[in-house]
This record gives sequence, structure tokens and C-alpha cells, in this order.
Amino acid sequence: MNGVLALSGRLQARHLLIGLMLAFIGLFLVLPLVSVFAEGLSKGFAAYGAALVQPDAQSAIKLTLLVAAISVPVNVVFGVMAAWAIAKFDFPGKSLLITFIDLPFSVSPVVAGLIYVLMFGMQGWLGPWLRDYDIQIIFAVPGIVLATIFVTFPFVARELIPLMAEQGRDDEEAALSLGASGFQTFLRVTLPNIRWGLLYGVLLCNARAMGEFGAVSVVSGHLRGLTNTMPLHVEILYNEYNFVAAFAVASLLALLALVTLVLKSIVEWRFDYQRGSVGH
Amino acid sequence: MIRLDSISKRYGAYQALDNINLDVRDGEFLALLGPSGSGKTTLLRIVAGLAFPDHGSVLFNGEDVTDLKVAERKVGFVFQHYALFKHMTVADNIGFGLSVRKRRERPSKAAIRARAEELLDLVQLRGLGDRYPAQLSGGQRQRVALARALAVEPQLLLLDEPFGALDAQVRKELRRWLRHLHDQMGLTSIFVTHDQEEALELADRVVVMDHGVIEQIGTPEEVYMAPRSSFVSNFVGETNSLPVSVRDGQAHFFDRHIAIEAERMPDGPARLDFRPHDVTVGDEQPGCLPLLVTGVYRRGGDWRVEGEVTGVDRTIEVNLDARMPAPEVGKRLAIKVQRAKLFQLSEVKP
Repeated sequence: MNGVLALSGRLQARHLLIGLMLAFIGLFLVLPLVSVFAEGLSKGFAAYGAALVQPDAQSAIKLTLLVAAISVPVNVVFGVMAAWAIAKFDFPGKSLLITFIDLPFSVSPVVAGLIYVLMFGMQGWLGPWLRDYDIQIIFAVPGIVLATIFVTFPFVARELIPLMAEQGRDDEEAALSLGASGFQTFLRVTLPNIRWGLLYGVLLCNARAMGEFGAVSVVSGHLRGLTNTMPLHVEILYNEYNFVAAFAVASLLALLALVTLVLKSIVEWRFDYQRGSVGH
Repeated sequence: MIRLDSISKRYGAYQALDNINLDVRDGEFLALLGPSGSGKTTLLRIVAGLAFPDHGSVLFNGEDVTDLKVAERKVGFVFQHYALFKHMTVADNIGFGLSVRKRRERPSKAAIRARAEELLDLVQLRGLGDRYPAQLSGGQRQRVALARALAVEPQLLLLDEPFGALDAQVRKELRRWLRHLHDQMGLTSIFVTHDQEEALELADRVVVMDHGVIEQIGTPEEVYMAPRSSFVSNFVGETNSLPVSVRDGQAHFFDRHIAIEAERMPDGPARLDFRPHDVTVGDEQPGCLPLLVTGVYRRGGDWRVEGEVTGVDRTIEVNLDARMPAPEVGKRLAIKVQRAKLFQLSEVKP
């Protein structure tokens, strides 16, 4: 009798915990997400569409895509290089390098933005030199790209370092001993070994590159139609009480998040599958 | 012929290899034998061009290849954990070395495939070319790794603990087969192992290493029967060690005289090493050791008797003919050592 009571008690606790979790997620995650779409569509599809084709919105979307198109490939290249160096070679200062790679995660994005203003701004270290050559970085697209690269740097490297360290050097050494060049080894052996981890890192990196607000906000200057990315554009519209337009653009970002989430799940599933079949 | 000339290698404060000199003859099957940390794998990697010595040189047929990278040395390397490319089929794995050649030296796709099939036949895996490594057993994977290494027709085959990841039965089968393949193809091979049984069974010559130096080079027979140091006699085969002292060409275990040749030994403390099968049961005559029997079990045609000798920390193990009645546990046996090696204590490493 006692056992049955204990069992039903445990069942109740389980249901209670699951219920609480669902309620929490519903209240704090799903409901806000739904409300973004609801607000965006509150004046109908025509107003929603109009907000998106408006020239400033269009330029914000284009700029966001441009920034992601530059910063993601750059971080893929540097992330793979950093992960390769850390996972496959032993050298002094290795742990320091790992710490530096994590720096963007631990620094507030606003500080990251300010660093670039201090470096490249008019009053910054390189400001006079840049002005002499008529190069504008702060309050222009280059600054936004630089800040985004800084903030998103760890995603690819962080994903690859443990994966490459776990895989060791044997495969690469085998390829080299068979006469392959370094580049052939990377392309035909290393890259296939890390492809799912790399894709996962790229997805996270891309989501952050498109959604970054703080660092970009500091360096952008908020010039409408010129240096506004989508998150900045949303803020401006919201501050102007233009809720439908603000939420319409915001819903695009939310949609991006959802697509990323689905792709991430697919990649994770493939990744686990591949890992599961590795065993010796 | 491969010649290693005064090779040294240091990792930080750790001396991995200390002045190694070694010649490997053409057609030879050579074993590098030693405990972990003895430097045997580092030496193999230096021969391969996967690691580079701080001092000394590596010569292939008189040509200095010390600064050549692994890709330029034309060696086949087989890894303990196979290192097969898991996203490629077995045939693509085997053909990899041919497919990465420069365009004008590269055989056609069909020719590479044909060569892969040929090698699959050689390693007795016909018909498995379209499988993936994950679908093969450990022994099969190591055969594929071997076929892949042989595909580029290396002048030297290097194997790093090639059977280490396999279970006992497969290991035994595969190593005999490998020896056979080596002879059949006229290869020159060096393999690294920590398993003395494997080294003695397979190799033409065994190089026993410890702490980055070569302790002895010799045929399996020489290394087993005439160990040059106490380390070798303890590492290769089973050995019992007794602390003895030498006085006037006579070995003494405490006050007991041991009838072992010690004529050329200087006076002083020494170590007496003898194999478990180099003893007989004597009567209580001088020159015998009193062994208190603590355990007896059958090992093939012998009794394996474990016992204690007063004044020795380690259990003494001896083999006695199982056609005799088994000794009783708790009884004392008088053991007569028939064959032993004496090592001066100053030569014995701690």
C-alpha cells in the first residue's frame, strides 16, 4: 500500500514539474513570440507587407544580410584556423589563446562597440590617420562589420576546438603519410570530419550576426537608410510608436530565429548520428 | 637500408630519446619493444617523418632524409587505431594515396579502383570495397589500413602498436598473417609494441628500449636467453630477481651459497635473475633455496608454483613438471636454480 502511495506521489511530482515547466516556457517564450507576430499582423497583411517594403526597412534588411555575408565567412576562416592550431598543435601560450577566443563572450557587447570607437573614431587612436586618408569606419558599414565579427568570433572556434581535439591527429597524419599535401589533407580529410560541427557553428554565428544589437548600436550612428541594421531599425520604429512596422520587422528576425532552431535541430541530429557511428 | 645515426629528442625537460644508433637491414622485420615512455613510438615517428630529431640523422639507403617530410619519404604508416577516413568507402580509403598524386602521375579512376580491388584481395577482404569503415570489425579495419599503406608501394612499412586495439584471438591471427605478408612481399618493416610475446614471435630482431635508450638489440633468441641487462631480463619474458652478493667469484643469497657461475664478477652487491622454468626441485643440499609454497595452479604441462623466499619482497614464481605430484600449499620446497644471469647492482636501474 505504501509503495503504491509513494509511486503515485512520484507520478504527481513528475506531472507537477512538467506542468510548471510548460507553463513557464509558454508564458515567457511562446507567448511573447506569438505576440510579435500578432502585433505585426494586427492591422492586417497589407500593413505588415507595407512595413517591410518601406525603403528604410528594405535598406536595413539589405545591410543586415550584407553584414552577415561578410562576418560569417570571415569567422569561419579564422575560427577553423584557430581551432586547428589549438587542437592539433602544442605551443606555448595555447591556453591564453583559448581565453582570448572566449573574450567576446565575457565582454558586454556595448564595451565591444566602444573599443572600436576608441580605436577608429575621430578622437580614437587611428582617427587622425584615417581622416587623412578619408576612410570612415565608425558610423559606417565597416564599423558595423568589425563589431559584428568581434561579437560572433567565438561561435565557430568554440564549436570546433573540442571536436577537433577529440578526433586527434591520426587521420591527418595518415593522409600526409600517403603523400597528400596540407591543403589536400584539409579538404579531403579534416573538413569532412568536422562538417557537422562547422555547420552548427555557422548557424549560431549567423543568428548572432543578424541579431546583434549592443555593439552595432554603439558604432552605427543610427543613420536611417544607411547604417541601420534590422535590430536597430526595430528600435527606432518602436520609439516612434510605429508598433505595426516595428513588430513586422521584428517578426522577420523571430522567423530567422525559428528557422535557425529547426536547422540546428537537424544538424544536431546528423552530428550525433555521425558521432555515434565513429566508435572503434 | 635504414640507418639512424645518434638520434636525440627532447620534449621540454623530458629526454624522449638519447643518442640512438640503429641499422635496419633490407627485408628485415624489426620490433621496437619497451614499456610506455621508453621512446619507441617517438623513434618510429622520427623514422616516418612525423616527428623530427633535435640531433642526429636518418638515412634511407645512404641518403639523408632527416629534413624530408612524411609525404616525401615514401613510407607506409599503420596506426594503432587504424585512422581510416570514416566518410570514405574502403576502396576510396585504399585508393587515397594514389588519388592525391599530381595530375600527371595520377592513375585514372578505374585504375585506382582496380588497384584497390587487387589490394583487397591481398588482405583477404575481397568484395568489401563499397563498405564504410564503421561497418567492419577491428581486425578488418586494420587490414584496410594496411592495404591503404601498401597502395603507394612504400620502401618501408612502419606500424605503431598495430594489434594493440584488437582482442587476443584476432591479434594472434593477424600478426601471423602480417609476418607472412611481409615475407611474401619482400617488405622492410619496423613495428612498435609493448608486448614482448608479440615481439619475440614476429620479429627477426628485437630492439629493447627503456627511458629513451636502447638496452639491447638482438634476435629473439639472444634477447631472451642472453639479456644484457636486468631490465631486459625482466621485461622480456618472466624473471625472478634475488638480491645477492658476490664474494671471490661466488654468489651468496644472505649466507647461503648459490651454485651459479660468478667467476668474472667483481665483489659486491648484485642481482640474480632466473626464469621460472630454469629451476628443479632439489633435496636439502647446499645451493638450494627454501621456497614457502603459497599457491599452485596448472599452466599447460607445468605446475606454476608461487611462493615466498625469506628476504625477497616479490613473489617467486617457478614452473615444475606437472607429471610430478602437485606441491602442497604451506610446505617448503628446496629449489635449485639451474640457469641464471648475474648483474652487478651498479648496472641495475632502479
